[in-house]
Amino acid sequence: MAGLSSAVARGQFAAIAQVRWQLFVNSLRTIRGRLEMVSRVMLGFGLTMGGLGGAFGLAAASYYFTSHDQTEWLALLLWVIFLFWQLFPVVATAFTETFDSSNLLRFPLSYPSFFMVRLVYGSLDPATALGGLWLFGIWMGVTVADHRLFVPAGLALLVFALANILLARMVFAWVERWLAQRRTREIMGILFFFLIISFQFIGPLMARFGGKRHPDAARLTVFLLPLERLLPPGLAASALTHFSQGDFAAGLAFFGLLCAYTIAFFWFLNVRMLAQYRGENLSEAAALAAPSRLAKPGSKQKLAVRLGWNVPGVPGPVAAIFEKEFRYLSRSGPMIFTLIMPLVILLIFRLSPGKSGPGSEGFFVRAPDFAFPVGAAYALLMLTNLIYNNFGADGAGVQFYFVSPVRFRDIVLAKNLVHATILAFEMILVWTAVCFIYRPPSFYYTVTTIAGVLLAAPANMAVGNLLSIYTPKKFDFGTFGRQRAANTTAFASIGVQAAVFGIGALSFLLAYVLHKLWIATVLLLGLAAIAFVCYAIVLNRVDRIALDRRETLISELSRA
Amino acid sequence: MDGPAIITEHLTRTFGQLVAVNDVNLRVAPGQFFGFLGPNGAGKSTTIKMLTGLLAPSSGRMEILGVDLTANPVEVKRQIGVVPEGMALFGRLTGAEYLNFVGRMYGLDRLTAAKRTAELLEFMQLADQPKKLVTDYSHGMQKKLAMAAAVIHGPKILFLDEPFEGVDAIASGTLKAMLQRMISRGATIFLTSHVLEIVERLCSHVAIIHRGLLVAQGSLEELRAGVASQAAAALQEDGTPGAAPPAGEKLTLEEIFLRIVGGSRLAEQELSWLG
Repeated sequence: MAGLSSAVARGQFAAIAQVRWQLFVNSLRTIRGRLEMVSRVMLGFGLTMGGLGGAFGLAAASYYFTSHDQTEWLALLLWVIFLFWQLFPVVATAFTETFDSSNLLRFPLSYPSFFMVRLVYGSLDPATALGGLWLFGIWMGVTVADHRLFVPAGLALLVFALANILLARMVFAWVERWLAQRRTREIMGILFFFLIISFQFIGPLMARFGGKRHPDAARLTVFLLPLERLLPPGLAASALTHFSQGDFAAGLAFFGLLCAYTIAFFWFLNVRMLAQYRGENLSEAAALAAPSRLAKPGSKQKLAVRLGWNVPGVPGPVAAIFEKEFRYLSRSGPMIFTLIMPLVILLIFRLSPGKSGPGSEGFFVRAPDFAFPVGAAYALLMLTNLIYNNFGADGAGVQFYFVSPVRFRDIVLAKNLVHATILAFEMILVWTAVCFIYRPPSFYYTVTTIAGVLLAAPANMAVGNLLSIYTPKKFDFGTFGRQRAANTTAFASIGVQAAVFGIGALSFLLAYVLHKLWIATVLLLGLAAIAFVCYAIVLNRVDRIALDRRETLISELSRA
Repeated sequence: MDGPAIITEHLTRTFGQLVAVNDVNLRVAPGQFFGFLGPNGAGKSTTIKMLTGLLAPSSGRMEILGVDLTANPVEVKRQIGVVPEGMALFGRLTGAEYLNFVGRMYGLDRLTAAKRTAELLEFMQLADQPKKLVTDYSHGMQKKLAMAAAVIHGPKILFLDEPFEGVDAIASGTLKAMLQRMISRGATIFLTSHVLEIVERLCSHVAIIHRGLLVAQGSLEELRAGVASQAAAALQEDGTPGAAPPAGEKLTLEEIFLRIVGGSRLAEQELSWLG
């Protein structure tokens, strides 16, 4: 990595930082840019508060564990941070953005510099900021409890942080590579299908093995626990435990293993980065058969073009947009990944080990009726990326909508139709999964959840349609971490979710106080009707708004 | 259609203090191959964007095929085809999917859209790799696809913003053949281009915009005559009349263009570090 310290490399880093700063300053010239800045500050404030709160809590917990000679419990804290660090970028894509450094390749940037730029700018996300802050809290707690651990704990946690950063980047880089090809996406689809099929076995299995003490399960736990200690969070915790006990040799051994993991993550990431540095093209074209095999020069083979989709009850242009949107989604690994997350989360909740003792099952096992509403709400949240940035994936193609003889109202309607279809499909999947994993939700909870979604969906779509036009942001459907909406959009979306969930909670509270649960359903259905009216009003005004805002929309989405 | 295919009256567009298009009055007759020329930043793309509904004018009026564009944009858009500056492609569709999509957006039924898609892909020599995504097309292939998309519904007027930019000789030949075929069938083509040789070869009428103002408009012969008479009328620095081009010498479009917009100025400043 000698190249990193050269004057040229330092100059390049400074130039990149300066150009990013200049881009930020220039963005403040417009009202939209200034709104983005305000939203960023407010979101940043919220995250900082959460991060600081978490850091204080973790500092207190680690102080307690260290001062009471229970440092092995630090593993629990480190596992929580580890899972957050790795899962947050996937489950909260609206807040995660990776830096597109492909343009850097035309400059004489050395590979170490390229690697560092990708790593540093790619790590400027909430997961890294919060994870780092929380690890700092643990370090403080451990150090205050035992001053001797200042350096060893600092080193172990620093390497643990590095391992997290490298692992997150590595997983993204490799998954992106695999999902870039149609064949691997199909394989993933098949695996997903098996996952759905397997749900029906989870319920009976958990019913058989989960409710009672089973000697085999106990033996398995005894077998698995040491394995846990061989993974990065366990290794970091073991190193801290041994350092605190004065057993520096064992502590160094665990620390060494943690370093080995970090180096392994670095190596795997390095393989992908090197390929990108050498100008790798992840497009599907490379995987296609050579043209000569498909059509011989001079041959008069007639090209067969499939008919477009026929969507019953909708006009041709709306059906065409419907088809186009689904084709886009089916070719986006990151979006498919995002859309299956609700099911994965349900599964994680079911399989995650609970606390020992009575009531050791997870929350949904004790209250299975809530699994469907929570799963449905999560499915809706996963869709907000699309709903709040309708035209993000269209890029420069958005110009076509303005030159085509189709009203913007119909275009937006078609896109919302796609969102509604996906949401309905996800709801059915979640309901089915809940039936197999937990138990079928009661009729009341099913109907009330549907009523809640009928309120939330049009409310989100109405606001989403407006924000898609007022604060658009270009998406890259093929790359992880490039589906982030504008900060203003993300901020407004949080407000809408808070309002919708607040209204839902109030409805339930009222029903609970009056001892008449059906009141919540009726209230939600009534509010859903109002939301539909609002949605219709927005939809009927979309034409004028889009024409007024066309310059912003086109220039923002046509950016290179 | 008796009246002009395209009319603009006092068409103006400002961006803050900058007047990008200033009081432009255009007349394009039906069936004309019309070249709209100007130096970089003159207002060509801004004009074509306004004429195709991509940009709102600050003031003025536009009429396409007798229909007011501002009052009835959808009716106008049904009858025109556009290749805008950024080509307006959807990168994650295949060429066939894209053309099919565009055809249906213009109201073609599924069967007709699929049939025309196949024909256009064959004509544009894009049928070789049917599963290739548009984003993986070369620049020239994308231009051909954008052109195919612009004509799939059989428009009466075609607006083309720099259709030959970055296109190789083979692709350029294909595009020109298609445009000439359209002209022979009575379509009107409004084209901007920096490649003046192509404009000279293809276009029957030309307009030149400079710093937002329309400075010349007419057939090539009319422009030549105008330049010659202007040159003869202009007084030189010593007060003697200027020299008109010698009789029989035919000015090229490039010469006409340079005379009208002021020509190029060689950089006086020496860039010593270039070697």
